Amino acid sequence: MPLHLTVNDEDRVSVRDPLTPLVDVLRDEFFLTGAKIVCREGFCGACTVWVDGRPVVSCLLPVGLAVDCKIHTVESLSTNGDLSVLQKAFEDHDAVQCGMCFPGMLMTLTSFLDREPRATREEIKAALVGNVCRCTGYERIVDAAFSLASAG
Amino acid sequence: MLHAVLLRAEVPSARLLAVDVSRACKMPGVRAIVTAADAPGLHGIGIADQPLFAVDLIRYVGEPIAAVAADTLEQAEAAVAAITTEIDLLPTAISMADALAPEAHLVHPDWRNYEVLFEGAAHAGNIAWEATVVRGDTGAAFSRADVTVVESNFRVGRQNHLSFEPRVAIASYEDGRFHIETSTQVPWTIRNVTARILGIPASHVRVTVPAVGGAFGLKFDCALEPFAALLARASGRPVRLANSRQEEMFTCLCRENAEIKLRSAVTKEGEIVGREAVVLMDCGAYGGEQIFLTTMTAHTLGGNYRLGSVRISSRAIYTNTAPNGAFRACNGVYNTFALERHTDEICAAIGMDQFEFRRRNVLGDKDIGSTGQVFEGDVLRPMLDRMADLRSARPSKKGTAGRRLYGRATTVGTWFIFVGPSAATVNLNTDGSATLVTAGVEIGSGSMMQALPQIVANTLGLHPEQVIVRTADTDGSGFDLGVGGGRTTVSLGAASQSASEEVRKKLLSVAGEMLQTAPERLVLAGGRVEIAGAKGSGTTIAKVVERAQQLLGPLSGSGSFTRPGVPAMAGCARGHFIDAIDIPVFAVHECEVAVDPETGHVEVLGYTVVQDVGHAINPRAVFGQIQGGVVQGLGYALHEEITIDADGRMRQEGLETYRVPLAQDVVPVEISLHEGAPSIGPLGTKGAGEVPILNVAATIACAVSNATGRPVCEIPLTPPRVLELILGKNTQLTFPHISPFWEENVLTSQPSGKRDVAG
Amino acid sequence: MNSLHVATSVADAIAALADRGDGGAPLAGATWIMRAPIRKEQHPRSYVALAKIDELQRVELLHDYLSIGACVTHARLAAALAPLPEFRALAVAAGSSANPAIRQMATIGGNLCAAGFAAADLVPALICLDAQIELAMPGESTRVSVEAFLTMRTDLPHGCLVRRVMVPRTTYRSDHVRLTLRKGGDYPVVIVSLAAELGSTGVVKSARVAIGSVETTARRWEKFERLLIGHPLDPADVTEKATLCADELHGREGVEAPGWYRIKVLPSLVGRAVRNIRGQC
Repeated sequence: MPLHLTVNDEDRVSVRDPLTPLVDVLRDEFFLTGAKIVCREGFCGACTVWVDGRPVVSCLLPVGLAVDCKIHTVESLSTNGDLSVLQKAFEDHDAVQCGMCFPGMLMTLTSFLDREPRATREEIKAALVGNVCRCTGYERIVDAAFSLASAG
Repeated sequence: MLHAVLLRAEVPSARLLAVDVSRACKMPGVRAIVTAADAPGLHGIGIADQPLFAVDLIRYVGEPIAAVAADTLEQAEAAVAAITTEIDLLPTAISMADALAPEAHLVHPDWRNYEVLFEGAAHAGNIAWEATVVRGDTGAAFSRADVTVVESNFRVGRQNHLSFEPRVAIASYEDGRFHIETSTQVPWTIRNVTARILGIPASHVRVTVPAVGGAFGLKFDCALEPFAALLARASGRPVRLANSRQEEMFTCLCRENAEIKLRSAVTKEGEIVGREAVVLMDCGAYGGEQIFLTTMTAHTLGGNYRLGSVRISSRAIYTNTAPNGAFRACNGVYNTFALERHTDEICAAIGMDQFEFRRRNVLGDKDIGSTGQVFEGDVLRPMLDRMADLRSARPSKKGTAGRRLYGRATTVGTWFIFVGPSAATVNLNTDGSATLVTAGVEIGSGSMMQALPQIVANTLGLHPEQVIVRTADTDGSGFDLGVGGGRTTVSLGAASQSASEEVRKKLLSVAGEMLQTAPERLVLAGGRVEIAGAKGSGTTIAKVVERAQQLLGPLSGSGSFTRPGVPAMAGCARGHFIDAIDIPVFAVHECEVAVDPETGHVEVLGYTVVQDVGHAINPRAVFGQIQGGVVQGLGYALHEEITIDADGRMRQEGLETYRVPLAQDVVPVEISLHEGAPSIGPLGTKGAGEVPILNVAATIACAVSNATGRPVCEIPLTPPRVLELILGKNTQLTFPHISPFWEENVLTSQPSGKRDVAG
Repeated sequence: MNSLHVATSVADAIAALADRGDGGAPLAGATWIMRAPIRKEQHPRSYVALAKIDELQRVELLHDYLSIGACVTHARLAAALAPLPEFRALAVAAGSSANPAIRQMATIGGNLCAAGFAAADLVPALICLDAQIELAMPGESTRVSVEAFLTMRTDLPHGCLVRRVMVPRTTYRSDHVRLTLRKGGDYPVVIVSLAAELGSTGVVKSARVAIGSVETTARRWEKFERLLIGHPLDPADVTEKATLCADELHGREGVEAPGWYRIKVLPSLVGRAVRNIRGQC
């Protein structure tokens, strides 16, 4: 039975089994390859997307439970080719190394900063416990996010 | 595209009597199945000991037995499940103690028949390789009446790279040639090893590499590529093969577990007159990188400090566990841990301050390393002084430790840049852009996408954004040893610079004619050629290129680079792949820690690095590498543990149990770059990405020892291990399989295979 | 049969589960079940998803108790409890388990039902708060204590599901302390949930203590509770008492920590919980 989803404000249909992890549908069926598959156990955060505005790990969400939900992926962050403020901050802080964790970092932190626009560095770090980065040692990512929090 | 899955062994040691794929072949969607019969050759580093698929013997859990390609991943998985095998379980050698015990099970009963690819080393039975150093008379040094003898044992576990992108390859076969797109650091190694395994000319393999999602040394070896290639040929279709995270966990080419015994004879003034070391490196079921890395022990345990005499036995040991590999600064990381902790034990034994001992004894100008290599310049001592200045310029963090135990430590480290051959071509285009063609791969360090464009742009007067970096393609570029070992900026940088210089020469000669000025009076900058001292007098580089194209043809240049290596002192090194080190790199690290005496948790309060970088052409990128490298080192020192059970299985199967540092576990590293140390790298550079991890475990371990007053002999310092240490519950580390007499830890000169197997 | 039936009401879910028998199982937040392949467990033939049932999403503060629908996520629970200090232990548990993304997905019902998950945070918190579980099944519903539920959760009859959790309103003060190996982001190796009713002089009138992750299933620690009665909540004193009682526990050997470690650090965590409770005064 086809599954009707709303992805990045577009109506999409998946023909996969409803237990298929959402991330596989996004990547393999819709070619939205921003969300990355790394651990498939909810610990690395590289596949984070928003479901009805809440950041969740798309490796553990069966696509059947995402029906009728509004899904947003990292591809939705920039508009008309303009980077979001956080994407721009990441670039300005030269934060990127291999880049695999960044889509998830962006989705987690964009949502977090919306809720906590005045967050401290410590609060930003606590918000990142579900997002692993193996390259950068985190501090520049935190600096980039904090630059927005402190800039107000 | 087809999807492939490997059938992997589930036992660590067995005779493989039969593999039956007949049922699997008939399963829906299955397009090809390959087994050992399709790839009979052996490959390896130093010794050709590894088959692609288990043949006759299974030597580790996870060893490939067959590979299936099918229309979907699910179909391939179902077919793999339908393959049946017949096996006879054999005894095992899971630990190095097992492997070196009398009457140990031989992981490679046929070791004598293997082709030796690099002559000169001793090997026998479960000792896959042995590299030794003998310089001076340690016997005399240890028997001196005026010395204190200090002896220490250390043990470290494995470390998984956990690169976010797993190992993955896509292969196709057309017109008699293979095209493999893969996630690797070593496109040319993939080309050559795949060809060797498939028994075809290397020129029949083309390897291309897009940007790589993390590597850290994991992707310095051929991995999945030959399987994908075999399946592509057998099916006539492109095939994708990717490791699951669980496969990445249990077949990771980890930083190896190791056991280290150090003995030093030291005078009361702190002069180290003799040192003996035995290092056992677990190479797993096949030799792999560890064979080569036995060489490096000489340059870490023999680095840092002046030694009057030294003997080192560095051995790679076969066990029935997954093969290990290269990981950022490789065995340097644990040898530095052992050496620095041993140094602090020396300080305790002779009653000398830890910092003062280091200031007195670190290698300086014209001092010699363990293999007799002469070091140039005073580097470590001024770096230590810089660290002392940094320390006195800010308050101690002792106050933030509260009721916990506080410790601080400073350590030194010696590593090297792995130079080797590289080639580059630079094309200068009529739009004023340049294309840089090499077999280098961007693995996230920025060397390829930031440093190299800077080098080319600097030579040609362009902006770095005008330099397009061609992604690696073995059909399009000359040979390259690979991206790793800190060599990218040095070797690929030097080749790129030399290619750019050729272009520059041609460009200036044409520009000279156009501007009626001698080339040596011309300046290239900002995309323009100007007559020196007369800004606006010249023309754009694009116009010169256009003119040159009419006169000479398109402007291009090629360059190459290598270094033959500094020779070792005659007769003192045996079984070594390289004589000595072309570019030494030094590091001084310091940290402050708080240890919770109730739970054993170690909190890093502050971390400072003084790193020798030669010349930093992009300091911001270097800072990024240092922060990232230190944090990977913190993981190794504190969190990341791999345990192997009696059945040869790794117990940590994913990110739930293999704990890498998270944002809350790290601190911003205070960094000071030491510039000006001698280097043969372009513009005086040294690689900066590998060395930041070198002394992290050493520094943390020394600080935790200082905080708790207990000797740290094992890492990682997980809370249970630290609590055990504080409670005095940990049993003293002893190695029954390492003889207290150094001579007994060395094979006889001609490997007989009978004697000394048990070390 | 479809691998996933998205139920629209509790009655629909009960009927679908009863219909599926051994071949079916309920699915709430999915975070545990979606990892079944990694644990090398087989999925049943079909799941019945509960997440779209409105009734199971409700958190209601009633006169005598707090009612939490089985599919309320950790994040929603933490937000709902933030202004209610009387449920402090549960608020801390819901707000600190796993990581933020998992807390957006994992539910209280799932936490209670994941029998293989020794480190579930909500379970000891609910035990110390003396919560009851309402089970819905064909034609009836029944209430059991959390401890009783833990003994029966692996063999619930077909068509039985957790409808809601009821946490009584009391004057107890409570706290939830968890020890992770990193600063956060891990499953805890030890959990202490402690609730106590203090008399006017500060002595303990009654107490409920639950420990999680130490043994394979969370449990109440009654021997220790008894030692608290009639004494002031003094961190050093309770740490000592916890040490005395700890020998009745069987520390779980795990990949992440050995059994002895869990037992050894437990008393100091009890001390920390008590310190936090005193801080609430």
